[in-house]
Amino acid sequence: MKKKVLSVLLVGVLAVGALAGCGSKKSSSSSGSKDKGVDTSKEGEHELSVYAWDKNFNIPALKAAEKAYQTKDPDFKLNIIEQGQSSDVENAITKAGTANDFSKLPDIVLFQDHYIHKYVSDYPDAFQTVDDSTADWANLSAEKISYSTIDGKHYGFPVDNGAVITAYRTDLLEKAGYTVDQMKGISWDEFIEIGKKVKEATKDDTHPDGYYLLSMDGSGNDLVYMMLQAEGSSQFDEKGNPVLTSNEKVYQICDLIVKMQQAGVLDLAQDWNEYTNKTIVGDQVAGVINGNWIIPTMKQVNGSGEGGIDNTGKWALTTMPTLEGNGKEGYASNGGSSLYLTAACKKADLAKDFLSYTFGGGEGAKTTYDEALKNGGVIGTWANATSSEVYSAPDAFFGGAPIYSTIVEMGTKVPTVNQSDYHYATREQVGNAIQAAINGDDLKSALKDAEDQVKTQIENGSNK
Amino acid sequence: MENKKKGMSVWQKQNAAGWVFLTPATIMIVLLIFYPMIEALITSFRWGSGVRVYSQWADPWYKNYVNMFHNKVFMQTVGNTFFYLIIQVPIMLVLAILLAQLLNNKDLKFKGFFRTMVFLPCATSLVSYSLIFQSMFQKTGLFNIILNKLGIFHGNYAFLQNTWSARFVIIIALIWRWTGYNMVFYLAGLQNIEYSVYEAAKIDGANGWKIFWNMTVPLLKPTIIMTFIMSINGTLQLFDESYNLTKGGPSGTTMTMSHYVYNQAYGNNAGQFAVACAMSFFIFVLVAILAFINMKVGDTRD
Amino acid sequence: MTKNKSHIQRRLIPSYIFLIIWSFISVFPLYWMIAGATNTTQDVSRAKLTLGTHAADNFNKLLEDSDLWGNMGNSFFYAIIQTVLCLFICSLAGYGFELYHDKAKDRLFAFLLLGMMIPPVSTMIPLYRMMTKLSFQDTVWGFVIPGIATPFMIMMFRQNSRNFPVDILEAARLDGLSEFAIFFRMYLPVMKSTYAAAAVITFMNAWNAYMWPKIIMSDNSTQTMPMLIANLASGYVIDYGELMMGVLFCSIPTMIIFFLLQKQFAEGITGAVK
Repeated sequence: MKKKVLSVLLVGVLAVGALAGCGSKKSSSSSGSKDKGVDTSKEGEHELSVYAWDKNFNIPALKAAEKAYQTKDPDFKLNIIEQGQSSDVENAITKAGTANDFSKLPDIVLFQDHYIHKYVSDYPDAFQTVDDSTADWANLSAEKISYSTIDGKHYGFPVDNGAVITAYRTDLLEKAGYTVDQMKGISWDEFIEIGKKVKEATKDDTHPDGYYLLSMDGSGNDLVYMMLQAEGSSQFDEKGNPVLTSNEKVYQICDLIVKMQQAGVLDLAQDWNEYTNKTIVGDQVAGVINGNWIIPTMKQVNGSGEGGIDNTGKWALTTMPTLEGNGKEGYASNGGSSLYLTAACKKADLAKDFLSYTFGGGEGAKTTYDEALKNGGVIGTWANATSSEVYSAPDAFFGGAPIYSTIVEMGTKVPTVNQSDYHYATREQVGNAIQAAINGDDLKSALKDAEDQVKTQIENGSNK
Repeated sequence: MENKKKGMSVWQKQNAAGWVFLTPATIMIVLLIFYPMIEALITSFRWGSGVRVYSQWADPWYKNYVNMFHNKVFMQTVGNTFFYLIIQVPIMLVLAILLAQLLNNKDLKFKGFFRTMVFLPCATSLVSYSLIFQSMFQKTGLFNIILNKLGIFHGNYAFLQNTWSARFVIIIALIWRWTGYNMVFYLAGLQNIEYSVYEAAKIDGANGWKIFWNMTVPLLKPTIIMTFIMSINGTLQLFDESYNLTKGGPSGTTMTMSHYVYNQAYGNNAGQFAVACAMSFFIFVLVAILAFINMKVGDTRD
Repeated sequence: MTKNKSHIQRRLIPSYIFLIIWSFISVFPLYWMIAGATNTTQDVSRAKLTLGTHAADNFNKLLEDSDLWGNMGNSFFYAIIQTVLCLFICSLAGYGFELYHDKAKDRLFAFLLLGMMIPPVSTMIPLYRMMTKLSFQDTVWGFVIPGIATPFMIMMFRQNSRNFPVDILEAARLDGLSEFAIFFRMYLPVMKSTYAAAAVITFMNAWNAYMWPKIIMSDNSTQTMPMLIANLASGYVIDYGELMMGVLFCSIPTMIIFFLLQKQFAEGITGAVK
């Protein structure tokens, strides 16, 4: 019996120890994410539901759109159902597809640009076309719209601009004797050399190894894509087949990434979370290259965090390095997503009107994009929005530079490159090849393997 | 039998009752385990991703299987799974026997306490311990800090970003979670062995090691074989640890078979149902073969 | 005599050392979880090993970011329903297979045991399709139905039914009790301890289930605790203090069961292979 009493006590101590002081504050009312499942037929006349992710980025943009549309339809309500990450939305479609029943989906889904082609082709019944909407297609970025246009039909409304930013910490570069201007138009080889010097020059108590000049998640396969696009090159031919072995640049770039990692210039984080929280928010890097949606993450280091580290004013934007360097600047885009109508949407007219009015460049577009930028840092692709003063306002975090208009301008210089339904499948395989090379395998044969894998997958998914 | 004397009708009634008792479970197992397995087998002969899988057959019918064997990533996950199996299962079972042997000593004090402690990890859910281990092996996490302070490491080592160290983190986690579980079986087995058997052996002058090797192990053999089968079966189906601890990374090099199959259906390569079914059938065959070999090995003794 | 005793204890010193080390290894990750639950994410990253003062913050964050009580309730609800149904159906079958056994039933039993070899990953896709056809996704039925009848539990009840005295059965029959009445009035009370062991095991398994709920429960409001904590660990921003608090909550019920019903737990694990 004594033992039992002891064990009960132990559990009690466990529980009390952890809960001490808890429950003092009732949690705020649950947000949209905890609402009951979607049943689009039970919604009100003026109500729409949407799956979206990232409460610091996409969600504020959607809230801005909801508010903008309420000037037209005061009863309008957008039920934003927050998802943990983008793959949750993809999963929802896949699961509905397994059962061939799309009725449980929300009216609208936010979807990653690079994935939508594959999903529309895999689940043609899951989405609705939006050709008959009043969106201002002509003034929306052509590169962006190319993702949501499938077989010549419009399926989606663009949200954010994926233009890649290259940002450096001016204070850390200075320690190694460089300025941001010197980083413009350099080659990747020079980037590695500078990275080594930065690492050496920035060693201190909290950073015994010094700062990395760059970090990336996974095996850096996002980086491959961005570096290739900056060269105007792609992992695919015009038909969407992989050209990992025949495109010499793929090899060069993967080889560079392996070298960067081995030189300690590039920190490959285990996953997305470690990339953002440990390397960027955790103040481990002197440089960031990614889609501009990464800016809100960078801005978390503004002194409000636990460590009180404040990097305000220490960052500056420039363009990507390129293979040849010598003043050639790189432009690319990464990530970005758009909004799509699902088969479950029974109020297609309302949904199309709402999206055209806001993200699609209608009357509410200016307010939508202005608010989306202010609250979420979401930079749109609607040409007319970029002239607004919100876009040209100086940004203190980046030393007072008008970064948003710069980013929009950079976005216009992004070369359009060959795409494929198997974009992410290829990225993953290229990532595996890089990992294999880091582990000591031969990169050439690893890329050959990767290409074979993608070809099998394409064959597997083809119609014939 | 006495029953028979009472006439067929009573016997029949009883027999019928017997069937009624086991019917619900039988129907459920057939419908929810065997039938889906057959459907998975049929699906594995289909072709295409997404909804196409409902209308297309593979040509030739075994094409998904051929592709599967050419799929290096899947084959690597097979290799990973067997690596975990070969390294982890023996270490874990030896440790479990050792611990059971120590705990079975009648002179040992605080036996109950130690037994509880050894058994304790079994109380955590698979997801929980995966996340706990994940947080301990972070690049800037606990183990790096300890090893740096001890002067063994200089600078942080990314345990989970390097293939081999990440694989060993999974193995360490598995050993932590399952050793106590297997110890329970051995302890139960040991307690069935009469203490007098040991006493007799001791009088004969056998030392501890000899007693262990020549008496305990043979007597525990049925238990050992059973824990072996269970561990093999469990390891071949590993999912939670791969999914939550390393997320299969870096780049799928620590991923298990089940994790990869899950990804084919609901993960990154979502919608490859035919491919996923072919792979899952392959896992089933592996489990069956290994269980069969094990049982054969077990049989020769009797 | 005392000399002899101390001699024995001295010889056991290596055993004690080994057991103490192993106990430490066993407890440490759980202590790390508790320490983490009371510290900030930065402190967890700095490997702070002492208990902190941020338990309340972490708890409040957890309440804000997730539907803790709802998911906790789901986990309890699903696990209890599954336990009750599984115990009923499987004990019925185990009883039937053992006490009414004949050649045909033995063969059927051997056949059902083959089901143990089928990995869940093999059946997940057809099962998901089946459950959605019945509109069981995001419901308790979708969760429990595949786990109600398991070969393991049937085997466990069958093995333990061997201890059920046949005299009772015969006597009850002579008293004119129907076969079903015998099961409910005689078998059930006698087999209490087997039921307890089976209940602990089934509850723990249901509570800890991850892959199947992940597939069948797509709605946040129907999720279970393991899903909740896995989601905390896969979001864009991960707070380790909050995560460890979630892990702690996911572990408390199984820990309590473990400490209170350790004997039954051990019996449940070994129960089928006596």
